[in-house]
Amino acid sequence: MMLKGKTALVTGARGGIGRAIVGRFLREGATVYAADLTPEGSLAAHDEDGSIFVKLDVTSEADAVAAMEQVKAEAGKLDILVNAAGIEIEKTIEDTSLEEWNQSFAVNVTGTFLTSKYALPLMREAAKGGSSASLINFGSYDGFIADPGLAAYCATKGAVHALTRAMACDHGPEGIRVNAICPGYIDTPMLQSFFEGEGSGGGGGNIETLQKAVRDVHPMRTYGTPDDIANLVNWLASDEARYASGQLWVLDGGLSAQVQQMKL
Amino acid sequence: MRLAGKKALVTGGRQGIGRGIVEAFLAEGASVMTCGRGPKPDDLPDGVTWNMLDVSDTAAVQALAEATKGVDVLVNNAGVQVEKTVVDSSDSDWDLVMGANAKGVFNMCRAFIPVMNKGGSIINIGSISGKVADPSMALYNASKAFVHGLTRSIAVDHGPDIRCNAICPGWIETGMLEAGFDLANDPAHARQDALSRHATRRFGKPEDIAAMAVWLASDEASFATGQLFTVDGGMTAASPINPGLM
Repeated sequence: MMLKGKTALVTGARGGIGRAIVGRFLREGATVYAADLTPEGSLAAHDEDGSIFVKLDVTSEADAVAAMEQVKAEAGKLDILVNAAGIEIEKTIEDTSLEEWNQSFAVNVTGTFLTSKYALPLMREAAKGGSSASLINFGSYDGFIADPGLAAYCATKGAVHALTRAMACDHGPEGIRVNAICPGYIDTPMLQSFFEGEGSGGGGGNIETLQKAVRDVHPMRTYGTPDDIANLVNWLASDEARYASGQLWVLDGGLSAQVQQMKL
Repeated sequence: MRLAGKKALVTGGRQGIGRGIVEAFLAEGASVMTCGRGPKPDDLPDGVTWNMLDVSDTAAVQALAEATKGVDVLVNNAGVQVEKTVVDSSDSDWDLVMGANAKGVFNMCRAFIPVMNKGGSIINIGSISGKVADPSMALYNASKAFVHGLTRSIAVDHGPDIRCNAICPGWIETGMLEAGFDLANDPAHARQDALSRHATRRFGKPEDIAAMAVWLASDEASFATGQLFTVDGGMTAASPINPGLM
């Protein structure tokens, strides 16, 4: 039980990766606030898992304030914040409307900003207990290298990477560690939507063939699961990671370690 | 003539990228020396001095440095490639690849830094393979990462007198690249596939790398040091997954 006695809040908590993180935190002994737009999130069903659901639109300042007031009233502190809420618009910049662009930044960047801003006082409170508090953002390997037709998404993730380093500098002295996880291809509703979309070239094509082709490009010959991500989130959240801060943690099965794989 | 009055030494000027740099430097007014393991190539441009030299031979490199005073620009381009995994690589593969690509660059820098003019520029040829891995090129990839690390060290230790940068080429049209396609099951398809992964929709040419080398050699680059400059037509800016190809 690596997180016993800790209080955590996860945004996007009812989505693919968020749900795995919530489940792992609960098994590790944490009290978990699962924040999302709805209890179902991006998955079909809502399973009772012992977490406390908090209705949170990360783009709403009022929602962020209310969520943290609830945590303050019930737990008095916040040891762990995971900013996992995110959306993906599959378009080039010419095809992206201003509304879509703004929405991408509102969720992926402003959402990270707002939730963090109102969580920080509670995280400073947690750090007074002697062990550091841990704030974990979601970047992406797309913040380093580009997937085609994902321009706004790539840009938002680059912004999260820079924000992560800035926050680590500003709040490290207060006992708050700040890191970002940068997933590659992870089997989530977002990935399935990508495969089905036009950007992937999979529109109308054989999704199975497409998925196999994508797996085969990975040195590990598979893409990741939400649990793979939760494993690293759990470590970064725990006291074992007490010296880890300001870093971007790529978890992609080796995908971005390689040069493009020419079909020779 | 951006390199008028400058004296340049380019290793590995027989062919490919090295020859491209020799020709570009010449066109920009530099006095150019080059070297290689064999005799002087028949097609070496007039006015270029040829030295028979194995860069992994410490004594020979020292002797050349003593005979060559006042170099302004040193380009460490000479390199070899062995296409094997770690497990398949022999001691002689190690000696060949690390000898030329790692020890050779070290030898040249060690011998020439003391005799270079103030304001001199060292340009090492690294590779995108020193940043991300090409399959079955283990020693080559590692040797280029060595070049990248040495580049930063030299910049730090020998500034402000000498600048040191590396160019990291991607896929450049040379005999080596064509030979690779010829080995494919369907050479035409392989070539098309590889092209589609480049934002520029073409492979590099030796003159693309030479253009960067000219800039780094010139006084326009007087604040550029300790950096790795990738020139690869946008290939490594894109994800290895290019769904349009599937």
